[in-house]
Amino acid sequence: MIPFVAVVSLRGRESRTLRVWIPLILLWLLLVPLVVLLSPLIFIGCLACGLNPLRAFSVGWQILLALHDTEVEIEHRSAGVSICVF
Amino acid sequence: MNEHRRQILQMLSDGKVSADEAERLISAVEEPSAGRSSENVSDSAAKARPKYLRVQVDSENDDGHEGPTKVNVRVPMQLLRAGVKLAGLIPQQALRRANDAIHEKGIPFDLSQIKPENLEELIEQLNDLSVDVDQKDHATKVKVRVFCE
Repeated sequence: MIPFVAVVSLRGRESRTLRVWIPLILLWLLLVPLVVLLSPLIFIGCLACGLNPLRAFSVGWQILLALHDTEVEIEHRSAGVSICVF
Repeated sequence: MNEHRRQILQMLSDGKVSADEAERLISAVEEPSAGRSSENVSDSAAKARPKYLRVQVDSENDDGHEGPTKVNVRVPMQLLRAGVKLAGLIPQQALRRANDAIHEKGIPFDLSQIKPENLEELIEQLNDLSVDVDQKDHATKVKVRVFCE
């Protein structure tokens, strides 16, 4: 499943936590027309690098799908960062 | 047909037990093995399909100035699969340079050997992987755990 939301939590020295919900679905909706517009350039770029553009697109799509449920947390006494992708 | 079942049917044909009793006996004999086999199937299914690779790092400074640092990373196995496929897209020239850099560090590893064909085997082997590293020097204590769940 394509990730819909990313939650980024930042904790500073004063133990105050800033939690930001990023609606990735909006980001994808914005990026789709851009990717479609840039696709000829991406296609030429892939061919110039000796890559199969369809294979590159397929792998990129698989990575996007696989980001779902990824979680990274780093906690320290002075600060903390947490990124969860749903 | 197993031995117990045969004996029960023999007792039924000899008239030593009624049909109801025979049925109860057969179900009593078969239940534990059925339970065990379904348990084994579910165990192996759960074991065969780990969903995440987890890396946990706990670092502590004995002097107390820095405080503990904790890192907790959960990576879906699907992302590993996609990552290996991405590695397959790396041009040969870049792969050679990466291999050279790895060899310079003294690590006998060849990135060109990671191929999508070997991917499932790699993921399967990761299932049994569990790495625990405890390091302690005069000021720092580091504990690293890598496992699949």
